[in-house]
Amino acid sequence: MNGLLARSGLRFYWRRPWQLCLAVSGIALGVAVYVGVDLANDSARRAFQLTSDLVTGSTTHHLMGTGGEIADSVYRTLRMEHGPVRAAPVIEAEVRLGRLPDRVVTLMGVDPLEESGFRGFSGFVPGRGTDLTRLIVEPGAVLAPAPLLEELGLEAGSEFGLLIGGETRTVRAVGTVLETSSADEGPTAPIIADIATAQELLGRTSLSRVDLILDEAEAERVRALGLPNATLVPAEGRNAAFDELARAFRINLTALSLLALLVGVFLIYATMSFAVVQRRGTFGVLRAIGVSRRQLLTGVLGEALVLGTLATTAGILLGQQLAEGLVDLVLRTIGDLYFESSVSAVTPSPTIYWRGFAMGLGMTLLAAATPALDAARSTPYTAMSRAALERSTRLLALRANWLALPAAAVAATLLLVSSRSLVLAFAGLFFVIATGALLVPSATRLLGRLAEPLAERGFGISGSLAARGMAASLSRTGVATAALSVAVATVVGIGLMISSFRISVEEWLTGTLTADIYVNIDGEQFFDDSHRDALSAIPGVRGSSQTRFVPLPTAAGEVGLRALNPGPDGWGLRMTAGGTEAVERLESAEGVLVSEPLAFNRQLQPGDDLILPTASGEQAFPVLGAFRDYSSNGGTVLMPLSVYRSHWADNDINGIGVYLDDETDREIVLEEMRRVFGAGAPVRFRSNEFIRERSMMIFDRTFRITEVLRILAGAVAFLGLASAVMSIELERGRELAVLRALGLRPRQVRALTLAQTGLLGLAAGLFAIPLGIVMAALLIQVINVRSFGWSMDLEIASQPLALGVVLALSAALLAGIYPAVRAVRVGVAGQLREE
Amino acid sequence: MSTAEAQIRLTAVNKTYGAHAVLEECNLSIQAGEFVVVVGRSGSGKSTLLNLIGGLDRPTAGVVELLGQSLAGLTEDELSRVRCRRLGFVFQFFNLIPTLTVQENVRLPMALNGASKAQGIRRADLLLRELGLDECGSRFPEELSGGEQQRVAIARALSHRPNIVLADEPTGNLDLETAEEVLALLEQTCRRHGATLVMATHSREVLGTADRVFTIRAARIHEEPP
Ligand SMILES: Nc1ncnc2c1ncn2[C@@H]1O[C@H](COP(=O)(O)OP(=O)(O)O)[C@@H](O)[C@H]1O
Ligand SMILES: [Mg+2]
Repeated sequence: MNGLLARSGLRFYWRRPWQLCLAVSGIALGVAVYVGVDLANDSARRAFQLTSDLVTGSTTHHLMGTGGEIADSVYRTLRMEHGPVRAAPVIEAEVRLGRLPDRVVTLMGVDPLEESGFRGFSGFVPGRGTDLTRLIVEPGAVLAPAPLLEELGLEAGSEFGLLIGGETRTVRAVGTVLETSSADEGPTAPIIADIATAQELLGRTSLSRVDLILDEAEAERVRALGLPNATLVPAEGRNAAFDELARAFRINLTALSLLALLVGVFLIYATMSFAVVQRRGTFGVLRAIGVSRRQLLTGVLGEALVLGTLATTAGILLGQQLAEGLVDLVLRTIGDLYFESSVSAVTPSPTIYWRGFAMGLGMTLLAAATPALDAARSTPYTAMSRAALERSTRLLALRANWLALPAAAVAATLLLVSSRSLVLAFAGLFFVIATGALLVPSATRLLGRLAEPLAERGFGISGSLAARGMAASLSRTGVATAALSVAVATVVGIGLMISSFRISVEEWLTGTLTADIYVNIDGEQFFDDSHRDALSAIPGVRGSSQTRFVPLPTAAGEVGLRALNPGPDGWGLRMTAGGTEAVERLESAEGVLVSEPLAFNRQLQPGDDLILPTASGEQAFPVLGAFRDYSSNGGTVLMPLSVYRSHWADNDINGIGVYLDDETDREIVLEEMRRVFGAGAPVRFRSNEFIRERSMMIFDRTFRITEVLRILAGAVAFLGLASAVMSIELERGRELAVLRALGLRPRQVRALTLAQTGLLGLAAGLFAIPLGIVMAALLIQVINVRSFGWSMDLEIASQPLALGVVLALSAALLAGIYPAVRAVRVGVAGQLREE
Repeated sequence: MSTAEAQIRLTAVNKTYGAHAVLEECNLSIQAGEFVVVVGRSGSGKSTLLNLIGGLDRPTAGVVELLGQSLAGLTEDELSRVRCRRLGFVFQFFNLIPTLTVQENVRLPMALNGASKAQGIRRADLLLRELGLDECGSRFPEELSGGEQQRVAIARALSHRPNIVLADEPTGNLDLETAEEVLALLEQTCRRHGATLVMATHSREVLGTADRVFTIRAARIHEEPP
């Protein structure tokens, strides 16, 4: 008996090869998109980690002094008093290249003997032993990044000049170092020297910091030493800039994995459940002639197992292909953004393949089991009747509406309790989508009802039949519409998130960058008030702002202290807590403002105190409010320059913002400004527009990968769902044949088919809009806040929404083309004879 | 259209599937208003014949003419127009559109002919009453018995005042009593509306009231003497 059952299943597909193709390709595409994106993400994540380890090493703590310097003696004391400890002194400074005075590079002094456990780059030095010895013994010996040498037209062993404090110092590249730094604006590739060489070149005896590898107990002991003017800072805080990029990237990838998973799951479900549901009549007959429920179920599940295994394997192979392209793209993006070309592919972990396999096969079995169980449970008579099926589907859709309630409740609970947990927030997001998906079938039916009079007016009898068909064959259209909606909603949601983020960043930049020209000076040097006065005196300049920026080590990690004397246009702040009143109180020196991420990470409210190390010891500053700051999520404290000067006894200035009169010729003023500093001074002038454009460029680059993956997931969803819709439409052959016998013209038959799929696509697109907006709102207001402490405004841009509807509609219409053509081509008599 | 001219005329029609000749050298002419029955064993080619007459299938050789017009030169579109205006179908398996109500099923051919909705409703209700289905208009086909469904199909076949009704074993799926009832209704309604009725059947019990009877045997058509 079972052999015959299997043969019946086999023949079903044999007779309808298109059905087999569509089922296999639907499942395979679902698996492929999930596996492909996950493989790409996994490799990106691990390549990122690997590269990040090269930069930050395994350092757990930094010993830092106030003002960015720590005395040499602290290191010696630490070594002597603490006994054996893994510690590496570091000196870092920005210098310019003699040959290319516009290029700023980091000179990093390290102790080559201590380094090996810390950073990876020494491991990449060719002929390591000798080179390291040469670093120590030869005066002026450095390791330079190979691309830098290439740019200068030098080979290893040659000499080149560094511009330090206005003087040219000659160094010799005794070897190369792995390039581990970013291109454009960020920190540039380091030139490595022995610590003594670096000190000699820079003319200082202090260190920038000491890197340590400590466990908690050791950290406690180091703290207990009470080293003078030195704070032990956890490494995470120190590398905030790097970490936040890494984190932003990871969140991005996680969201995309979720997207791919959703698209895959729904695609497979829609495909397989349809392949089974359309044979319910046959199941009824089989039950009627005595096939037991168990035999029937075993038969269907066996078929699903074979089909699922086949399709999943194909999907994994396809996903592998997909991933190869994607990995390349992802790595290129990371390389562009954060490092120069040092990121190479990593062998993906095999668990992804297993996960993909389990997902593919699991969903196939689940999707087959649901209608098969239903058919097995009902009496043979109801199983045979299509009408009974539609009735029970309507009931199911109703029940799904009720199920949406608990799903929504779970989602709300998860989102509420997930105050800090990202995993819970993502789980909440998943349930929100499930809620939406559960409501879609009923909504489809309702829409079909509502659309009927309109469709009839627009397309006559074809339109009315199409609208009817959608509402009446919920058993087929319900799941497909839900799947299409979820896929499109995800694409829309992520699109809205990116566009909202972009708009918020743009607005923030416009608000923050109030000056016309920003003047900066290289790391080791500073402006003073005389520069400010000289710039302000230039005709056409109506005012200036001055900034002093100092990294402050605190026990909870490093914070950036920004002391500002605002220009004529004010502070340029967008407050997220405390309001404008807080800005007024800031101006009257009543306390400080904190950036939004700092407020989130340390849970600071207006009225709390923030303890900062000043020149005269630790001091509490009242927090007046929080302001929006996308420039870093490491945390920034803002105070008036006068307050900073009185507490830190430091009159240096890092940057001056110059405000111009409206009618001033910028070029003339720039000329004047250059004259103030003299030729060759390490000063950079950047216009407001330049900074804004640069920032947006970096933003766009960061999200390029998201965009590409989003489009890719959209495309796969498009293909897969088109195939699901196509099989539904192809099943209607007999009904269309009857209509043709009644005299429906070929054109009308085509119109009917396209109207049917078009309506389905339209429905899916329309449901995707609210669902997508909710997703975007959650991504923005829950996920982003949890990840970065950044808030932003949800901007409902019309473009991603329109894109979603177009995507759904065109997928569905595309799916209608072949069935429409086929319905007219095939002979009516033959179609009527079938079944 | 003169009464002398045949409404349906088949001239030397052949239909073969591969090497299997289903119909050979069929010649046949049917006048307007006649009630014609085609009998033959299952598999003898009755459905094939009706499909050829209805333009649902094309002959391998020979000419099929309806109302003096050959179907051979017509495009699919023109064939649909002929079906839509001139023909009504009643199938063995009812073949009602499951997503339309009974009344809507009946209205469908009229709607295809561009009749107004009000007009359609009026005529559909009339026909349904005539066939004893006054109560069923708003129900869906699945909610009716087989006999009732076939009566709906008859109403549908006649709603647009076709010249010819083609019925392919319309009673094949019904019990004897119901079959007789449906048959009588079909014949009476067609006669009342002046439509030519061509019906295929495998049982000879229904031949009583037919004007002419054709038998298909060994792929050939023979007319039985009255
Ligand atoms: N599409 C087809 N392909 C091959 N043979 C067919 C096809 N359609 C009908 N036949 C054959 O034509 C013969 C007549 O069929 P049909 O007209 O349906 O018979 P009836 O309606 O008298 O029972 C049968 O022997 C059947 O096997
Ligand atoms: Mg037949």
